[in-house]
Amino acid sequence: MADDDYNDMDMGYEDEPPEPEIEEGAEEEPENNEDLPDDVVGAETEEKEQEPAERPRKTSKYMTKYERARILGTRALQISMNAPVMVELEGETDPLEIAMKELRERKIPFTIRRYLPDGSYEDWGVDELIVEDSWKRQVGGD
Amino acid sequence: MAPVEEKLRCTKEPYIEDVGSRKIKSIRFTTLSSEEIRKSAEVQVWNNRIYGNDLQPVENGLLDRRMGSANKKIQCATCHGKFTECPGHFGYLKLTLPVFNVGYFSSILDILKCICKTCSRILLPEEDRREFLRKMRNPKADALQKNALLKKIRDKCKMFRCPRCGSSNGVVKKARTGLAIAQHFTKSVDESAEEIRSALSHKKDKQSFQAAHVITPGAAFALFKRMLDEDCEVLNLYDRPEKLIVTEIAVPPATIRPSGFVGFGRTSNEDSITSILKNIINTNSILREDLEGGAPASKCIDCWTHLQIQVVEYINSDSPSVPESKHRGLIQRLKGKQGRFRGNLSGKRVEYTGRTVISPDPNLKITEVAIPVLMALVLTYPERVSYYNIEKLRQCILNGPDKYPGANFVQKPDGSTMHLKYVNKKIVANDLKYGDIVERHLEDGDIVLFNRQPSLHRMSIMCHRARIMPWRTLRFNESVCNPYNADFDGDEMNLHVPQTEEARTEALMLMGVQNNLCTPKNGEILVASTQDFLTSSFLITRKDTFYDRATFSLMCSFMGDAMDSIDLPTPALIKPVELWTGKQLFSVLVRPNACTRVFLNLIVKEKIYTDNETMCPCDGYVYFRNSELISGQLGKVTLGNGNKDGLFSVLLRDYNSHAAASCMNRVAKLSARWIGNHGFSIGIDDVQPGEYLNQQKKKKIDEGYRECHEHISSYSKGQLTCEPGYNAAQTLELKITSVLNQIRTTAGNVCMNTLHWRNSPLIMSQCGSKGSAINISQMVACVGQQSVGGRRAPNGFIDRTLPHFPINSKTPAAKGFVANSFYTGLTATEFFFHTMGGREGLVDTAVKTAETGYMSRRLIKSLEDLSVHYDQTVRNASSGIVQFLYGDDGMDPAKMEGKDGIPLNLSQLFMKVMATCPHRVLDTLSPSEILQIMDDRLSKHDMSPEGGCSAAFKKLLTDFVNSRVVLMRNTRRALKLDEDHTEQKDISLTERIAANISGISSKQLQVFLDNCISRYHFKKVETGAAIGAIGAQSIGEPGTQMTLKTFHFAGVASMNVTLGVPRIREIINAAKNIKTPIITAKLLSDRDALSASIVKGSIEKTVLGEVAKAIQIVIKSHRPYISVKLDMGLIKALHMRISADSVQLSILNHPKIKLKPEHIRILRSDKLRIYAPEADKSQLQFSLHSLKAMLPKVIVKGIPTAERVVIDKTKQGIYKLFIEGTNLLAVMGTPGIDARNTKINHVIEVHETLGVEAARQSIIDEIHDTMRNHGMSIDKRHMMLLADVMTYKGEVLGITRFGIAKMKTSVLMLASFEKTAEHLFNASYSGREDKIDGVSECIIMGIPMRLGTGILKVKQRLEQIPDFKYVPGPVLNRSNI
Repeated sequence: MADDDYNDMDMGYEDEPPEPEIEEGAEEEPENNEDLPDDVVGAETEEKEQEPAERPRKTSKYMTKYERARILGTRALQISMNAPVMVELEGETDPLEIAMKELRERKIPFTIRRYLPDGSYEDWGVDELIVEDSWKRQVGGD
Repeated sequence: MAPVEEKLRCTKEPYIEDVGSRKIKSIRFTTLSSEEIRKSAEVQVWNNRIYGNDLQPVENGLLDRRMGSANKKIQCATCHGKFTECPGHFGYLKLTLPVFNVGYFSSILDILKCICKTCSRILLPEEDRREFLRKMRNPKADALQKNALLKKIRDKCKMFRCPRCGSSNGVVKKARTGLAIAQHFTKSVDESAEEIRSALSHKKDKQSFQAAHVITPGAAFALFKRMLDEDCEVLNLYDRPEKLIVTEIAVPPATIRPSGFVGFGRTSNEDSITSILKNIINTNSILREDLEGGAPASKCIDCWTHLQIQVVEYINSDSPSVPESKHRGLIQRLKGKQGRFRGNLSGKRVEYTGRTVISPDPNLKITEVAIPVLMALVLTYPERVSYYNIEKLRQCILNGPDKYPGANFVQKPDGSTMHLKYVNKKIVANDLKYGDIVERHLEDGDIVLFNRQPSLHRMSIMCHRARIMPWRTLRFNESVCNPYNADFDGDEMNLHVPQTEEARTEALMLMGVQNNLCTPKNGEILVASTQDFLTSSFLITRKDTFYDRATFSLMCSFMGDAMDSIDLPTPALIKPVELWTGKQLFSVLVRPNACTRVFLNLIVKEKIYTDNETMCPCDGYVYFRNSELISGQLGKVTLGNGNKDGLFSVLLRDYNSHAAASCMNRVAKLSARWIGNHGFSIGIDDVQPGEYLNQQKKKKIDEGYRECHEHISSYSKGQLTCEPGYNAAQTLELKITSVLNQIRTTAGNVCMNTLHWRNSPLIMSQCGSKGSAINISQMVACVGQQSVGGRRAPNGFIDRTLPHFPINSKTPAAKGFVANSFYTGLTATEFFFHTMGGREGLVDTAVKTAETGYMSRRLIKSLEDLSVHYDQTVRNASSGIVQFLYGDDGMDPAKMEGKDGIPLNLSQLFMKVMATCPHRVLDTLSPSEILQIMDDRLSKHDMSPEGGCSAAFKKLLTDFVNSRVVLMRNTRRALKLDEDHTEQKDISLTERIAANISGISSKQLQVFLDNCISRYHFKKVETGAAIGAIGAQSIGEPGTQMTLKTFHFAGVASMNVTLGVPRIREIINAAKNIKTPIITAKLLSDRDALSASIVKGSIEKTVLGEVAKAIQIVIKSHRPYISVKLDMGLIKALHMRISADSVQLSILNHPKIKLKPEHIRILRSDKLRIYAPEADKSQLQFSLHSLKAMLPKVIVKGIPTAERVVIDKTKQGIYKLFIEGTNLLAVMGTPGIDARNTKINHVIEVHETLGVEAARQSIIDEIHDTMRNHGMSIDKRHMMLLADVMTYKGEVLGITRFGIAKMKTSVLMLASFEKTAEHLFNASYSGREDKIDGVSECIIMGIPMRLGTGILKVKQRLEQIPDFKYVPGPVLNRSNI
């Protein structure tokens, strides 16, 4: 039984058509990414809608630090390769810093695909997840 | 052909983004047929010459150009690549006669055992064969089950006659010498064999009948070829068996066996493999000539054997059949620490690294590391040119590689790179375009990884921000010494520069110093102030230190480089001069200005604390209230590491890591600068003993010596009363040791009391920065007893320690008591004893490091792939569930605040809430209201199990609030108020007092509960966390700090228990035999001494010799006998219930003594007579004596495995038993034992008697107890995980190579652990497939693993890009997060 599940999971994971990674698209066309990535991305979204997550999502509504790191990393890479920035800048130039600001304002245009061990997955928008705002945590009832 | 080769190469290259369409999904291990070898080869190799006369590789030689280039001068003839480009191509070498492959030799042997040597069919009846085939084909069976099945089949295939062709089959065995297989017909019943045997028996000289028949590789090959596919399947063969026999050798590419010329000569230096292959070619051609030329058979066979040995050497040069080889075979290339698997695939050499000596710099932030400019010139980061950085990068290019901050390379999008040393920098700078990549020098704020070996836990490699500084050392804040375990006595450390934006981000987010202040081992803070920082904090916060305005402001400015705004507090004294206390300075340090909304509340008892809380005479009660230091002198407990409620821990938990980090920065700066001015040093006068101390010491030593001499003299007279469980000599040792320790302690106490309060060592030991009371008293008063192996110095000479002492001397001085202090100086003998103790420590450390290192490696290998998945389960790489919820509550050990892994320290939190939002008298709640509010809050969703709250936490919270309510009721009762109602309207004085003491307002309660609950939810372990690796490190790392010694069982006479590393190893290995098995048994009537001793008597192994008064041989005229007389007095006293009848029975049951009941006559209830069995007279004497020797060892009572039983009486008067030995079942079944509360420290025994769940609990408890005995606290969750991994397969698996092989399915992982070649050969025999999903496999294949950040996928969402009209900031803006 366990073996079957295991295979299913693996198949489910591997059988998905290989999506071009976001960063690849950007890397291949570093110069004219102003309008080109849209096509790549558009294709992906369509594909995603073919497999809608029907049951209610069960995983935690908190963003894990790994998700945070991955998103910030991917986004920082995009920004470092001249991707359009989704927030108003106030003099920041470090891609990571900009990515952090975007996350704080929940403007990162990503969806997190969380894989459950049986091979199914849940999609969570970055803006849906609760990021631990450690900078806001204060004790004192206000 | 060439482009195909090019593409195939990608298996070896690291994971790069543009692989895109190709990803290795799995690897299958199989065998190659000769045809496949020939097909994949580019060239046939037959020429035994390597280089021709022109020093060029010979055609069809071993370094034929078509196999790639073996050195830089040769170009590949197949793909026309150079040495660095061409991956190499295979050749093949045809062997004249087939030979065995050593790797498969045992498999070949097994197959031959199972098949008929005539018709090649399996030696099984048809129905059995079908049954086995069906089982073998079961798709659900895993490799382990198949192997077990194969073993079963092998055992069944023991037919001497083939069921199909009827021919006889002998026993197939490995021949005694060399690599050959022989078939013995000795056992098989055969007419011809009988005939021969009978014929031979007539011969006079006994010739051994050898019906052995050698199965040559050729014969085996022919047999295998005829085997049916179905039979192969039954034998778990994935492929044809003839592939197991070598007929053709695939000659490896020339690139992996480089060749070079020595000096200018004509001799070339060949790789081992080339030389072995050359020998093979030689032998092969000789063999062919012999065969073709019709040489005598014996010569051919010799040659064939020789070829066999050489092929063995080629594969495994360490094989026993190869007589001492100088070469390294293929297996030798793979295995071992330096081999391919561990040396090149699991760990790789990397670029962009640096290493030099480290030194401290308190002016740096804890998150920073100072990198020498020299290093920064070499270490680069490839930054992509964008709108924001183009100007900066232009400037870098102009500076070039030699001037900081410059750049070394520029990469263009077309892939070309330019070294800036050799190009015109101005042109390159001008041509710089967006999208180019500039490899610029490291600059301030860059992200680097910093590491010190041994990397025992994850905090050994952390992410820092770079600070480029002059000079030559790597520098960092001393506060970060602890996690690296670094000091500055010449230590070197490594530095790595992550090269992509993603790597930097992940490094910063996950490995940043700020995010790793706490150890996941137990949640204690690890990055904290050390040494001088503690000393100066201690001195500053002295009760009697006051500073005037100038000094105080100066010290305030020390804290933050004069960059922070600081609100000067109101002076503690206003008249006659304004004076501030040192304690106020720390209030400023915690909260520099009103804008910093940090309200620190904590209570800590320092080391020097005595009593009376804030009024402690030593000022050891540290009390911060709303960021004001009310009382207490700060020391290690408050500021240091390894504490859960220290200042930094509380800051970290209540606020964030930034608050804690900046506070640490301020402490570092303040104390480094202040102590530089104040001065703190140690001199000879600090360790000079006073007159009083000298007198006292002399008195004490004289007294002690006199006492010792008394003991010794009473011992030599034999008057010493023995302690229970000890003999006289041991008792003497015990007494003398305790007297001598007494001397040291009292001398030490006197010394500590007489020291001046400004004595530097004293200050250091008081604040905990360095040294202990023992260290001081050793320097000043007396060094004390030196011990080796836990005893006084052993006798190195005959009956004495050193020739300076009389023989058998047991005086203190002769056994290593050092009466002098380090100040007075040691005498020669004392010094010698001291070095003996010192050497033991050194040896211990050396042994320990090797042992714990290997233990850590095994732990990591077995736990590496465990992670938390999105459904909260803990699974391994093949999705097997190990735990349903991590640690039973899903909490992250690193975030635990309370002791013993409790999520929150509620009383601390409560105190904080009470302080930060004070209540007014009016709104205090009555007890019932409190409970009401609490129940309302606890019934909300986030406190339900579905909301992710464990019952344990709910109980914790309820209990705490209830205890508060009880407190409140008590106060009110004491004040004679209504216990359950608070007066709302008219407020009496007592009501006010009650409210002040223990009142809680509704706001406070609400804030408290909300805080607890929300914090609780943030403490969950995060999905994707590699908790397996963390757990392994958390158990492995403390191992290095443990001593190898064994200690005594607390309180119990001479009950030794293995502790320390050996014990941990026993538990982890799941050892069958442990050194000291002990059963702890509770008694049913546990207050009755008599019943305890009765139970003891019935458990303890008692032999006849112990209870017999006499066992004698009585020689009488008619029939001699042995008379046994029992010591009934002793038996009565020990309540053993032994009688002559029971003794008779036990003697009869003894397996070795073969007596019959009539041989034993019972004369009286305490007397037996034993006659020797009838034999001839000559033997009688002998048999009587042997009986007499055996009789005392006959077990007459008790459990044979229970060597010793000790009754322990606790202070409460409760008796329990400690039983040295095993057999838990028997002990539990003994009447009078409380079976349900009886435990054993032997994991395997627990598994056998009580089952696997009990074994799991036993593993957890045993590791916990061992660690606790060494004063180490480790979160229970790690041990649970380890125990679960060891037991989740349904049996207790040790963390050894056998256990791990049963736990894991991946071949690559097992091959990279131990027994590399064995695993690989077995895998290819049965065609194992390795799905690349574990950690080791992913590392080996260069694929990102599926845990941590790899557990999820990120999708781009299509959204309208917002339109901004922002003005970009200044170009050269540095990040300062």
